[in-house]
Amino acid sequence: MTTTIPPTKTVAARAVAASKIYGTGDTIVRALDSINVEFPRAEYTAIMGPSGSGKSTLLHCLAGLDSLTDGHVYLGDIDLSTLSDKEVTRVRRDRVGFVFQTFNLIPTLTALENITLPLALAGRKPDKDWLDRIVSTVGLRDRLEHRPSELSGGQQQRVAVARALVTRPEIIFADEPTGNLDSRASAEILGFMQRAVQEFGQTIVMVTHDPISASYSNRVVFLADGRIVDEVLDPTADAVLGKMRNLGGE
Amino acid sequence: MWQVTRKGLAGHKLRFLLTALAVVLGVSFIAGTLVLTATIQKTFDDLFADINRGTDAAVRSASVIKGNFGNDQRANVPGSLVAVVEKTPSVEAAVGNIQPYAQAIDNHGKAIGGNGPPTFGLGWDPNPKLNQFHLVSGHAPAINNQIVVDKGTADKGGFHVGEAVTILTTKTPQKYQLAGIAKFGTVDSLAGASIILFTPAQAQVVADVHNEFSQISVVAKPGVSQTQVAQDIQHTLLTDDPGHASQYQVITGKALTKENQDAVHNALGFISTALLVFAFVALIVGMFIIYNTFSIVVAQRMREMALLRAIGASKRQVLASVIGESVVVGILASAVGVVAGVGLSIGLKAVMNAVGFQIPGSGVVLRPNAIVIGLLVGTIVTIVSAVVPARQAARVPPIAAMRALALERPINRFRRLGIGGLILALGILSLFFGLFGSSGISLVGIGALLMLVGVFVVSPLFARQLARIIGRPLTALRGVVGNLARENAARNPRRTATTGAAVMIAVSLVGFITIFASSANASIGSAIDQQLKTDYIVTLKGGGGPGGGGISPVLAQRIAALPEIEASSAIRLGSAEVNGSQTFLAAADTAQISRLYDFGGVSGSVSDVGLNAIAVSSRKADSKHLKIGDLLPTRFVQTGTVPLRVAFIYKNNTLAGDYIISLATFEKNFAAQRQLDAQIFAKLKPGVSVAKGRAAIAPLVAPYPNAELQDNAQYKADQKKQVNQVLVLVYVLLFLAVIIAFIGIVNTMTLSIYERTKEIGLLRAVGSSRRQVRSMVRWEAVIIALFGTLLGIAMAVFFGWAVVDSLHDQGFTKFSAAPGSLIFIVVVTGIATLLWASLPARRAARLDVLRAIDQD
Repeated sequence: MTTTIPPTKTVAARAVAASKIYGTGDTIVRALDSINVEFPRAEYTAIMGPSGSGKSTLLHCLAGLDSLTDGHVYLGDIDLSTLSDKEVTRVRRDRVGFVFQTFNLIPTLTALENITLPLALAGRKPDKDWLDRIVSTVGLRDRLEHRPSELSGGQQQRVAVARALVTRPEIIFADEPTGNLDSRASAEILGFMQRAVQEFGQTIVMVTHDPISASYSNRVVFLADGRIVDEVLDPTADAVLGKMRNLGGE
Repeated sequence: MWQVTRKGLAGHKLRFLLTALAVVLGVSFIAGTLVLTATIQKTFDDLFADINRGTDAAVRSASVIKGNFGNDQRANVPGSLVAVVEKTPSVEAAVGNIQPYAQAIDNHGKAIGGNGPPTFGLGWDPNPKLNQFHLVSGHAPAINNQIVVDKGTADKGGFHVGEAVTILTTKTPQKYQLAGIAKFGTVDSLAGASIILFTPAQAQVVADVHNEFSQISVVAKPGVSQTQVAQDIQHTLLTDDPGHASQYQVITGKALTKENQDAVHNALGFISTALLVFAFVALIVGMFIIYNTFSIVVAQRMREMALLRAIGASKRQVLASVIGESVVVGILASAVGVVAGVGLSIGLKAVMNAVGFQIPGSGVVLRPNAIVIGLLVGTIVTIVSAVVPARQAARVPPIAAMRALALERPINRFRRLGIGGLILALGILSLFFGLFGSSGISLVGIGALLMLVGVFVVSPLFARQLARIIGRPLTALRGVVGNLARENAARNPRRTATTGAAVMIAVSLVGFITIFASSANASIGSAIDQQLKTDYIVTLKGGGGPGGGGISPVLAQRIAALPEIEASSAIRLGSAEVNGSQTFLAAADTAQISRLYDFGGVSGSVSDVGLNAIAVSSRKADSKHLKIGDLLPTRFVQTGTVPLRVAFIYKNNTLAGDYIISLATFEKNFAAQRQLDAQIFAKLKPGVSVAKGRAAIAPLVAPYPNAELQDNAQYKADQKKQVNQVLVLVYVLLFLAVIIAFIGIVNTMTLSIYERTKEIGLLRAVGSSRRQVRSMVRWEAVIIALFGTLLGIAMAVFFGWAVVDSLHDQGFTKFSAAPGSLIFIVVVTGIATLLWASLPARRAARLDVLRAIDQD
């Protein structure tokens, strides 16, 4: 099935007939099976699905971390499948933000240095006002000179969110960003991401298996066996849970 | 547990491969040295056994001054002794021979040899049993202007039988007809020595002696044993002249062969010891690499070790599994090292042949000791290096298996400072006792090693700070990539310190030898500038070597007679025993020398050093409590002990050495064949331009191609060149240690990258290019290398200062830290690391981003 696109919004990222196949013959695994999906600008989309449904693969391919076997992924107007590794790296650096489940920060850099890392790698100076605003939003002002080892798990993830925001990327990909956090810290992080969408018009795509996390998004896309099987707009935790049960997932 | 060991090795192949390389290189150096010396020894053992086969006994003077490498100096014996020996009933034949200096000039006017193996003459022995040579073409010298040369010399000079060959001797150069070409025993040349064979009568003339011999060789009657004939000769000598019999020594042919063989042994022992010292240095550097690899691998496998402990492995078993890994690595690497060593020895042999030290015969001699020592040393070194990491592995608590983070033990600052400081202090103490006491060179070596170990133990305490300081310019130059490199170099102080320690040792030795050479050059240079008052110096090309070559005294006489010359003096060198210890004496024209050289006189006057007088340096005069007028008992081989009156005490001994006698005293006390000049000092009359002076002297020097006319600047450059040649040789020998240190850097970087896979993946994910990752790894390597280099240079300056200072009395008057060379070392290390580190850098940049971040 194809997903619903609100007619007024432009698209930040999309996959067109995207397939990812591992192995050959009998052992063939279709991680992504001809997927068509679009992610509108300034939307917070959650991708859900049982283990092995291909949700992480989809995220990695959309982000240019992995390549497709067939089909196309677009970031804005750019067809990632036609780019060289060097060009994809550039795109990642300038147009994409990441938040991973664990190991989000470089241990030798301070919180501030971690936040500005993508800019530093590009040789650019941070926009002071913008940086200031992000730092206040995630509430890390008094922790900026600390190393990751001196921060709690929640604080570390807040730094990661700040880093993802700092380049004003077209899209932020978050892979189970709260997977390792307790419920309070999770709520904080999810709240920041929601605010980023509402206040800064940021686009976020998040992979999660937690219905409560998904309830912070504008739209939930469900994957099973490498295909998009369902979606829910303006989800609540209960609605998501219901759909998940139908899919026979977690 | 053996399975754990095996899997541990299989799972980390590359790491152990690099570790093994350090062992392989060190062991191959050791095995190569042993194989090479065994090969050379075997060759010469066979050669001497062969050439002395016909000699049943030898008679020679009992007066001897022992020299290095079997270069014993003996008095001549009178020719009349031959007749006495022949009176012995069991003697079939007795022939005297003498060995004067003689050197052939090739067809291009160049002197053959003289810069290593000796060049000398001999009488062609008429008795075929005693003659060590076999003619390969032509015939024996029949008349006095005919000669035979060894095949090696003939090949080098391009000589053919029948042509005229000019020979340099103690007299004026003379043309001889080449009657024949001969092999020495079975070989073309005696290890590259150049030998001219004259008629026995002409050998006497060339040696400038009248019926004197260096040695009388004896053939016994058939059926008489060597011991018997030697006893019989001894008996004859006693009955003939009981009062003088003790002046002579009779030895059997076997004893003579043994003596020849032992002399080679002695020389080889020196060479192999020197080579083994460098092999030892390489292995010590290697130990740091092995230690570091095992430490890092063990740290990375802490959870695995903890799991083993949790499921019931004992501490001993964990310890044994890591030690087991080191045993396997050690044995395999040592075995490869021994094989590589045999290859190395073949290469070294080819190199020695190429530079003139010909080792005849093909193939090499592989004795069991080379294999056993190589295997044993390599394996033990590996195991010893792995003991500390293995104990760390065993100490992991089982609970660590449940914890997420790798355990990095905190550094115990007080213990480290205490132990390191103690080792360092012991090292300094040992170094200074060795240098300024009388305990000698091994104490200096131990002291230096202890100091290096002490610094290594302490260095993790400041590794973080120093690495950050070294990396500071990088943050400015390379932005965040530089900053990452800098912080990575600072994050594991122990790792940086250990990797740096290997570099430190290598650099400290390279730096020390550089400073030492630079100080030698500065001392000699300043002595030449300030003390030499000459305009020209005639020097011996190649320094003469141990063969006792020199410039014919005729040249000095001719130069002295030139109207352009105000003052001149020949300089002769000889060895004698002063107060019972062997030492070198220099002889000069003491009437002229004060106008040619500034001695920095303390008391007396050099012109008072006449016959049977001696001048002594103030350092020797102080240590022996000598003053003007004292008698110094000096033993010469030819004339026995002569009391020489101290007539002059002087300060400047850098060029002059510690004892000076007059030429007259030298002529009286040294055999005629030793009257050869080492140098000729000359000063021009006022008003004579240097160009006119050279125009006058050069034609006189031209017939002596073993001599070279130099002004003071050329002389200085020449001296510098000689020092630098030694320096280059030491650099070559240290190169292995440097290579191993560099392997250590790559090894550490490879291990660190493996450990930081996720981190590199994250960097790539948030937009760092492959280039940036490469750059980060390379610069981290550079910071670690420079950390070691800077410590090494600091140590080098200290060693250099201490050693040069201790040699101040012996002429090392100037300490020169050679800042230019040291900066050069730093820059070269930096650039070399930058290039060399591209191996691990490329590995890091090639990491698959997705797998890196997905990896758990």
